[in-house]
Amino acid sequence: MTDQETKPIELSLYKAHEKIYPREIKGRFQYKRKLAVLVLLGLFYILPWISWEGQQAILFDLPHRRFHIFGLTLWPQDFIFLALMLIIAAFSLFFFTALAGRLWCGFACPQTVWTEVFIWMEQLTEGNRNKRMKLDKAPWSTEKVLRKTSKQFLWITFALWTGFTFVGFFTPIKELAAHVWSWQLGPWETFWLFFYSLATYGNAGFLREQVCLYMCPYARFQSAMFDKETLIISYDGQRGEPRMRGKKRREAEAPGDCIDCTLCVQVCPTGIDIRDGLQYECIGCAACIDACDEVMEKSGMPKGLIKYTTENALNGKPTHIIRPRTLVYFTILMLLVSSFGIALLSRSSIDMNVIHDRNSFYRVVNAQTIENVYTLKVMNKGKTTTGYKLSATGLEGLEVLLGMNETEIVAEPGQLVEVPIKIRAAKAVANKKIHTIEVTVTALDETGDAASETVKYFGYNK
Amino acid sequence: MGTEPIVKNRDFNDRQIKRIFLRRMGIVLWVSFFTAAVESMVFFALFDPAYLGQLSSLAVDITRWQGYALGFVFFWAFTFSAALFAGVVMALPRTRLAKRNPHS
Ligand code: SF4
Ligand code: SF4
Repeated sequence: MTDQETKPIELSLYKAHEKIYPREIKGRFQYKRKLAVLVLLGLFYILPWISWEGQQAILFDLPHRRFHIFGLTLWPQDFIFLALMLIIAAFSLFFFTALAGRLWCGFACPQTVWTEVFIWMEQLTEGNRNKRMKLDKAPWSTEKVLRKTSKQFLWITFALWTGFTFVGFFTPIKELAAHVWSWQLGPWETFWLFFYSLATYGNAGFLREQVCLYMCPYARFQSAMFDKETLIISYDGQRGEPRMRGKKRREAEAPGDCIDCTLCVQVCPTGIDIRDGLQYECIGCAACIDACDEVMEKSGMPKGLIKYTTENALNGKPTHIIRPRTLVYFTILMLLVSSFGIALLSRSSIDMNVIHDRNSFYRVVNAQTIENVYTLKVMNKGKTTTGYKLSATGLEGLEVLLGMNETEIVAEPGQLVEVPIKIRAAKAVANKKIHTIEVTVTALDETGDAASETVKYFGYNK
Repeated sequence: MGTEPIVKNRDFNDRQIKRIFLRRMGIVLWVSFFTAAVESMVFFALFDPAYLGQLSSLAVDITRWQGYALGFVFFWAFTFSAALFAGVVMALPRTRLAKRNPHS
């Protein structure tokens, strides 16, 4: 066996990465993608600068363990909201994937969005696809150095700004800007700023489609949500084949509509040929649709040789948007969203917990009265320091007293206070072995928020 | 025929092995990093590193940031060893099995 014979094996096993030079293309889908990029990145870069009620509108304040989201402050006790939010995000992804394939990948994934921007910068400095390919092959010259350095300059500046903004979601961004300005960044700020900048630079500048091909978990399991009625991007082989071009085409009797210009391959950011059928590398960016539509228009043939379609439509069968799979995803999604909404609306600014004293059931206070002892924990999830009052219901004439040393319950935002409390009742009333009572904590501020918990009350039962 | 190219193209074979090794290490690193990140997020949403620091018998004073970082490194070490183990056992032994029936 010669080396030449083994080459193909090497290629098919683990081929060295080949750089992809996506060709620039205009069209209705590319227009939408640009819009998505502008909106999403606009949000990312602008949001941390917006204030809300005198505070940064969105701030994930890890050092103080609280998240500010437009006037809502979430504490670790609100973990359920975070979890629900993530589950909702996952199910929306399932739902939209079942409906329209890799919509997320093509239009919204940060990987795609930042790569787009980096490619724009590349085009700006190094020119279009042909020029870029030539430039890379050409020996080093002043022009090449100039073009490459200006590209790197743009990339690095943009990546640093991205890293800065990212940290700005976790540290007040205005302070951060001041720190950067005066070279007084703390070690963590510095680390995250550079780490995220580097990640942006590496992912959007160099790894690009390789992230989608080799690293992304979603790309691996998205096909599980696909069925024959999912929107996919597909080439109409029946119409397009036999593909041919040039002289052969002119002489052929019945050539297919594909003129084999390979434009759809040149524009593809993942470097595949959509005419080979649906491939897992396809991120659904629709660049090939725009490219092919333009070609079809120029050659006077109907558009849509490559188009959004479904497997059923390709086989001449009807496509249903409403079908068991989408219905199930949608129902679960709606259930989650509504429980999230309800939970959010009924969220109280108080978190409480009452535990009965383990050492005694009850204590006799005097001939008529007994008391039960509990430990009360109150957490202030509001935004201001607040005092609280206690009450108990469930038995007639219950009286709540604070433990020995405490005279009042006051908690700062985010503070958890723990106090012993005693609840007194008349022997004549609390005459069963076990009663249930309800302890209520009410905030002494304008919100008047209250929270309550049911606990056991051990009665005087001889 | 099966083993021939391996003997004759030692270079090619070495390159191939190196690539497989690098790719596997890449996967091990990336997967363990990713899972460690998710684990740290969930863990620290539930537990406050400053509070954990007080609990420990070492009674060291750690700031929250140090706690987060330590926790992440700790998780990464864990997930890395798990992923490494998976990577190692994923490689099939190279030796050929003995013929089951040497007389046939
Ligand atoms: S494959 Fe993964 S990384 Fe690539 S665009 Fe889709 S979700 Fe993003
Ligand atoms: S095949 Fe078409 S839709 Fe898929 S990634 Fe390539 S250009 Fe985008």
